[in-house]
Amino acid sequence: MSSHCRASLLVLAVGGLTLAACDREEHHSRSKPIGETVAAGQSPDTIFPGGSQPAPLDARAKLYDNNANAIAQGQQLYSQMNCAGCHAHGGGGMGPALMDNEWRYGGRIDQIAATIAEGRPNGMPAWKGKLTADQIWDLAAYVRTLSGLPSKDSVSSRSESMSTGTPQTLTSHGTIKNSDSAQQ
Amino acid sequence: MKAHRNAPLFLVPMMLCACQYQHYQSDFGGAAVEDRQFLTLFWIFLGVCAFVYVLVVGFLIGGIVRQSRASEAKVVETGRHHESHPLMRSTFIGWATLIGAGLVGLAIASFFADRSMAEAARNAKLSVKVTGNQWWWDITYNSSDPSKTLRTANELHLPVGIPTHIQLQSNDVIHSFWVPSLAGKQDLIPGRDNDITIVPSRAGIFRGPCAEFCGLQHANMSLVVVVESYPDFIKWWDHQLQPAPQPTTSLALAGYHYVTTGPCSACHNIGGTPASGQAAPDLTHIASRKSLAAGMMPMNEGNLYGWVEDPQSLKPGSHMPTIGLEPDQLHGVVAYLETLK
Amino acid sequence: MPVGFASRQPLLGDVMQRVSGAYIVTILCSACAALTACNRSHQQQSGSATVYGSPPSGDHATRPAAASPRDDGNWVMPGKDYASTRFSGLNQITPQNIGKLGLSFTFSTGTTHGYEAPPLVVNGTMYLITPWPNYLYALDLTKPGAPQKWVFKPMPAAASQGVACCGTVNRGAVYDSGKIFFNTLDGQTIAVDANSGKQVWRTQLADIQKGETITMAPLVAGGKVLVGNSGGEMGVRGWLAALDEGSGKLSWRAYHTGPDKDVLIGPRFKPFYPMDRGKDLGVKTWGPDQWKIGGGPMWGWISYDPATKIIYYGTGNPGPWNAEQRPGDNKWATGVFARDVNTGEALWFYQTVPHDLFDHDDINESILADIPWKGGHVPALLRPARDGFFYVIDRRTGQVLSATPYGYMNGYKGVDLKTGRIAFNPDKEPKPGRITRDVCPAAPGMKDWNPSAFSPLTGLVYIAHHNLCEDIAVQQANYISGTPYVGADVKMYGGPGGYRGVVTAWDPIARKAVWEFKEDLPLWSPVLATAGGLIFYGTLDGWFKALDARTGKLLWQFKAGSGIIGQPISYRGPDGRQYVAVVAGVGGWAGGIVDGKLDARDPTAALGFANAVKDLPNKTTPGGMLYVFALPR
Repeated sequence: MSSHCRASLLVLAVGGLTLAACDREEHHSRSKPIGETVAAGQSPDTIFPGGSQPAPLDARAKLYDNNANAIAQGQQLYSQMNCAGCHAHGGGGMGPALMDNEWRYGGRIDQIAATIAEGRPNGMPAWKGKLTADQIWDLAAYVRTLSGLPSKDSVSSRSESMSTGTPQTLTSHGTIKNSDSAQQ
Repeated sequence: MKAHRNAPLFLVPMMLCACQYQHYQSDFGGAAVEDRQFLTLFWIFLGVCAFVYVLVVGFLIGGIVRQSRASEAKVVETGRHHESHPLMRSTFIGWATLIGAGLVGLAIASFFADRSMAEAARNAKLSVKVTGNQWWWDITYNSSDPSKTLRTANELHLPVGIPTHIQLQSNDVIHSFWVPSLAGKQDLIPGRDNDITIVPSRAGIFRGPCAEFCGLQHANMSLVVVVESYPDFIKWWDHQLQPAPQPTTSLALAGYHYVTTGPCSACHNIGGTPASGQAAPDLTHIASRKSLAAGMMPMNEGNLYGWVEDPQSLKPGSHMPTIGLEPDQLHGVVAYLETLK
Repeated sequence: MPVGFASRQPLLGDVMQRVSGAYIVTILCSACAALTACNRSHQQQSGSATVYGSPPSGDHATRPAAASPRDDGNWVMPGKDYASTRFSGLNQITPQNIGKLGLSFTFSTGTTHGYEAPPLVVNGTMYLITPWPNYLYALDLTKPGAPQKWVFKPMPAAASQGVACCGTVNRGAVYDSGKIFFNTLDGQTIAVDANSGKQVWRTQLADIQKGETITMAPLVAGGKVLVGNSGGEMGVRGWLAALDEGSGKLSWRAYHTGPDKDVLIGPRFKPFYPMDRGKDLGVKTWGPDQWKIGGGPMWGWISYDPATKIIYYGTGNPGPWNAEQRPGDNKWATGVFARDVNTGEALWFYQTVPHDLFDHDDINESILADIPWKGGHVPALLRPARDGFFYVIDRRTGQVLSATPYGYMNGYKGVDLKTGRIAFNPDKEPKPGRITRDVCPAAPGMKDWNPSAFSPLTGLVYIAHHNLCEDIAVQQANYISGTPYVGADVKMYGGPGGYRGVVTAWDPIARKAVWEFKEDLPLWSPVLATAGGLIFYGTLDGWFKALDARTGKLLWQFKAGSGIIGQPISYRGPDGRQYVAVVAGVGGWAGGIVDGKLDARDPTAALGFANAVKDLPNKTTPGGMLYVFALPR
């Protein structure tokens, strides 16, 4: 094979990779009005009497999950909206740990978004009046990174804001286990 | 926003004579002691360098002319270069002395400029902290009486003739403080304390663009600097310390309720109301400011409507989300914000 | 060629994996080795007392008779008496016979959150107040096995758990004139008839929407039930309220920030130091509006002098933790108040830490004692404070007589007794954008809420406290009501010496330790002193220990089913014998890693405490079990 051919193959490969990477970097800063679009009530339950099926994953999940921009925005909101005050940088405190891949109310991105939007009875506030749907999905995307769920290439190794926490890519995560409701 | 469309038209006269553009943003503004120092230095450097340049070019031309005459005359060099012509020798000495003197002169000039700026920093009477954020400026005026500490955003007021020490910090990425008519540049670096001291010498309104690329909306991150007399400055400070006025009309009242309990209050602070967010610009007297969205557009009702309704169209990527306000909510919020004079 | 090109990639990946695998194994091994080494050194340190001297032989601190009467065998308030001595006058159990101390009966509270409260014993009935959901149990001590008489369930809001900064704890109930008074996590004060278990009144005081909870034990003094709010990490505005004992109606409420009229500062207010004098300092020592969300709660201990009708208590930390955001002295947070119990009027105030940098709440106990001082006797407050100084304060004027560090510190340089002002160590001041390392004591202080005991027999104060340091990074905190308002990332770890906790027997007059008993884990348990010459306390991994009050020698220990952070008490049973009781149930800020299942891979979990007790989940599990001990018949 000629060196010419090799070079063009390389260019093609690089080009292909670049295009493939676009997906994870897609920005969507515009959001719809609150209330209309928050994933409301995605049930965290896993028992379905009479053989019915769990609700399918919300169609918007793929816009946010594994999206580097959404995760970075979510990370900044995580500290600005004081999530870190209760959940620390994933280890928990007033609120439960988020890095242990144990989900009381479901670990799917739409279930996490529902938890943030609707709140939960043991002290999790309902954020739907304070944040837009877009922001809530960004946060949900980031929260999943604390348990190492999204692919590593979409997670920033550097925090958007000043923090003493360990960079996401350096945090050691336990093996991902299929807990009841977290469907990978 | 007309100015933007016509910007290329302005460019030509600006380049020809920057000083004609009211010194809104000009290195030749000379509106502060620092900028004057720079300007003086600039003229000295320009003068010295121009003089030397003219000499060099003159000699060069002279040399060329001489060379061509010599070649015309078919004069062959004799190769006695080691026996320098006495005139040549003194010319060389003179040339070296001239360059030496020029360099020493420049060094002395910059040394004194530097000294006088350091001197101003030592005598600072006012202390301000400017924190860079993506993409706005957080400004805190320190006071020995903590209850007079003032927090505002995007509009820096400075008193004429008072040396003002400005602490520069950043919350996210590197920004740079640069008000060409007054002083700068100085970077705002996360995790590091930088500072700059300014002694404004005349009143006026100046623009300070962020001078270090800081992300998507870097171009729309600028600072409005208002230099005013000391009494005016104190009046401004006292006024800014006042809590937000109570809304009087029913429309503004509806807006007040929305702003102080809705999503706005999660990030913004409005003095004297329950809205105490600290993550975004302080809105207590937003309507008294000259610009909106960090120097992006002039403050007026139309721009307020546009900004509140859909900031992501005007400044995509900014941390102010498009909330999707209903029309009556929007009217209320704008009516309330307009009362925050 | 494409084949070769393709096959090279996985090879490289393989090598990388192997390299990183080996790297991880190496790191793990060295970490294990380091951990074992650490554990070994901890064990070497703990288990024996270091004796520096003997208890004072001549004139020493004594308890005021009015505030600390003779022991009647009951235990009606957490502090034992108004002087907060936590000293039992019972002396059947002694260093000689404690070896025979055995379990008498147990009771499971059915809760598994941090249990910080003492049992109360009133005339043959024992009362237990659990953490959220704040069940109140009455046990009949007259019958064998102490069966349950009744249980009162106040049904506090579940959402209140989400605004309780450091565990859903409750620090105790109090008994007075036929009623039991206690607070619920969601901010109510409730009076229950001690015989029937029926509610007498309930008053809603705190608002969880603002981040307020109530975790403290009330104090009933002068016909008033005194209650304060918690929430210094939530941007609350701190207060202390007095309810009428009979009706539960609000009698007065004194705020700890804001204008003088809200703080109940009037003409009778005479602080000793000029720094605490001036008009409306609760507004002027803050940035504009910051006092409204500035903290200064009251979730600790109040003492009362019945002779003068004055209460003494300290106020909590100003918020947020990031001190850059609150220029000024931040009054009246982090200081000690003396107030008239009838009107709430402030009489004096001393600000222990103006412009607090490290979350050093000053809510610790104020022990009332009469001390020999310069030839005379002075009525004093003995305060082992969170900032690490042991304060001896003249309780008539608020003058600091002495302030001495009772453990290792580097965050402060000392206290100027002329001006009363504490001096910070400038090297350790947290600044935004950088990490300040090795600050001692850490945020929970030299000692947190867990009160010490004072024995009038030895004149010593027995302090179970920490030896913790921290790294701290501060950043802009955002205020959203009902959410945390902290602005700091903290990571705590053991201080110098290789131990994390220590029991110190402190001589407040000579200003030195008489003995120290080092513990591997931080100490979150209150202390009980008895007239038999014993000290009781518990450890986070569940050991309940008895030391000799004079020498610190370990005389007896018992391993409970869960870590102990509850207060031990001693009472005389209906059979005339002396009993010792404690509830084991790990939790609170220190034990949250166990009962809250926190993840210590994040060193900032539990506001940084999880990192200091990483090993705790391997040593104990959540619980809520009462243990009562007695000598064999």
